[in-house]
Amino acid sequence: MFSKHVTNDISAYCQGELSPEQARQFAEHIISCAKCRREFEEIKFGVRFAEQLPCLVAPETLWTEIEAGLGSAGENSTVNRQWQFRVAAVAAVLLVVGGLGVWWFWGKGFKGQLAAGSWQVQSLNGAPQIGKKKFGAQGRLGVGEWLETDASSRAQIAVGSIGRVNIDENTRVRLVETEPTEHRLELARGKLSATIWAPPRLFFVDTPSAVAADLGCAYTLEVDDHGAGVLRVTAGWVALELKDRESMVPRGAACETRPGVGPGTPFFEDAQPSFRRALETFDFEDDAAARASALNSMLVEARSRDTLTLWHLLARVEGDDRVRVYDKIAGFVPPPDGVTREGVLQLDQEMLDRWKDALEVSWFADNPVLPKAVAETYWRVKNGLTRRVREISDK
Amino acid sequence: MEQQHAVMAQEPIDGEVIEACRQGDREAFQLLFETYKDKVFSIAVYAANGDRAVADDVTQQIFLKLFTAIRQFRGDSEFTTWLYRLVVNACLDERRRRRRWLPWGEIVATTISTEKRPQERQFDRLEVSEAVREAIAELKPKFRLPILLKYIEGLSYEEIAIVMNCSKGTVASRLNRGHSQLAKRLAHLNNSAVV
Repeated sequence: MFSKHVTNDISAYCQGELSPEQARQFAEHIISCAKCRREFEEIKFGVRFAEQLPCLVAPETLWTEIEAGLGSAGENSTVNRQWQFRVAAVAAVLLVVGGLGVWWFWGKGFKGQLAAGSWQVQSLNGAPQIGKKKFGAQGRLGVGEWLETDASSRAQIAVGSIGRVNIDENTRVRLVETEPTEHRLELARGKLSATIWAPPRLFFVDTPSAVAADLGCAYTLEVDDHGAGVLRVTAGWVALELKDRESMVPRGAACETRPGVGPGTPFFEDAQPSFRRALETFDFEDDAAARASALNSMLVEARSRDTLTLWHLLARVEGDDRVRVYDKIAGFVPPPDGVTREGVLQLDQEMLDRWKDALEVSWFADNPVLPKAVAETYWRVKNGLTRRVREISDK
Repeated sequence: MEQQHAVMAQEPIDGEVIEACRQGDREAFQLLFETYKDKVFSIAVYAANGDRAVADDVTQQIFLKLFTAIRQFRGDSEFTTWLYRLVVNACLDERRRRRRWLPWGEIVATTISTEKRPQERQFDRLEVSEAVREAIAELKPKFRLPILLKYIEGLSYEEIAIVMNCSKGTVASRLNRGHSQLAKRLAHLNNSAVV
């Protein structure tokens, strides 16, 4: 993993100024480094504001004043008709462009929309509808529009050039925005399956109880009628976030969300059912005694691979409970050099991240399908990351 | 009225036009003026914290200087980078000359806001746009100018480095800090529908 922090390159990455290799290293680093991810989010936010800086129109009188200032300096110049024509042509083009700008500017203002652009939608079954209109084989989903499927219809969305999203039956999604720096869907209810081959944090799905941030991955996301959701990751990583609460979910793992709580703690789907039940109690029950009992149960039953869950719990428990969680994890994989017990117990983010890097080996070593390195290489090629960064750098 | 329109539209300025300008052709110079006036004026406005009167003066000075200096333009560099170096220097000179930059709010009260129709206020986008201008005005010039050159002129990091006579790494670093400061100053708009 590319270990050097990449904060100095964030603006350059957002604006396609890095070489394909640099962009690839940047994207890989961002996946694993929470510190750089936080700065990336902030700077990306600044970039999006700066993109709204309008170009102003110079006063009409400016040329007259300049011409007066020029005095007779250019009086002996050759005035030919070609230049007069070109001046008139440029003025006309600027007028038209300016007019279109005004039309665009106010048109968007009235609609309350930010982005132009839309996504192509293909019906996979039945007759899904966009807004109130059903469509046949294909349709287009504009910013702000809802796509809805019923019990007998399904659809597939082409997410710009960065991936695709399959929409299952009885699902309602809205295109929130599509911009070079961010593509965002809202899943109100139902189920979607996303396959994204873009650099991390370019594709987001809002749900009633959390936001799923793609980190180069494939996953399914379900939301029930009460706004509760579950994320299942089949490749790469997904971050499930709400305010300051973040769950990093790797392939093979899942994470539940609840309205009013946000993302729960991620767990590998091959964890013992009793471990999963205990985790659900710990994450979403209000009763303190039940939660304490659930934590005890998890600490007894945890396997090496369940350190994914325990690592997240470090920041979600306090006092002696945090010490017990620390000891349990350290019993499986001791913290690497430079990561201290005191630092972890004080939630030093850099130390937590370094320990997570060391723990990852155990999370994927038990995976009977592919060794981690092979799987990551496979996915890197498959998800077309290189292709995407080349597209960005070519702009 | 302020307008937002496509930046970096088709540039009709070629070697022929520049050569005609060097020969003192007034019509060719007007063509050049029409092509760049909005971008140059925009930078001057933002660099002068929104003071349009100052920006008007600076823009005039830039084009008058350009009319004279273009005779010395040998084509060793891109015309746009050469022009924007003139623009940046003029803005910095103006700042040094005045020795003070008025807070944006004082200027807005007498210039930009008077141009707006009352109903325009209701649109989030306009308010965000105004907040961005205010935040830009609060940045130090060394962070502000790269942002203006990037977003108003659409220059690459390499071109900005040439214009500002610094390394590409310095441009990247200043843009990083500029973006970061913008994000902090505008954090209250985090949940705005337009962001």
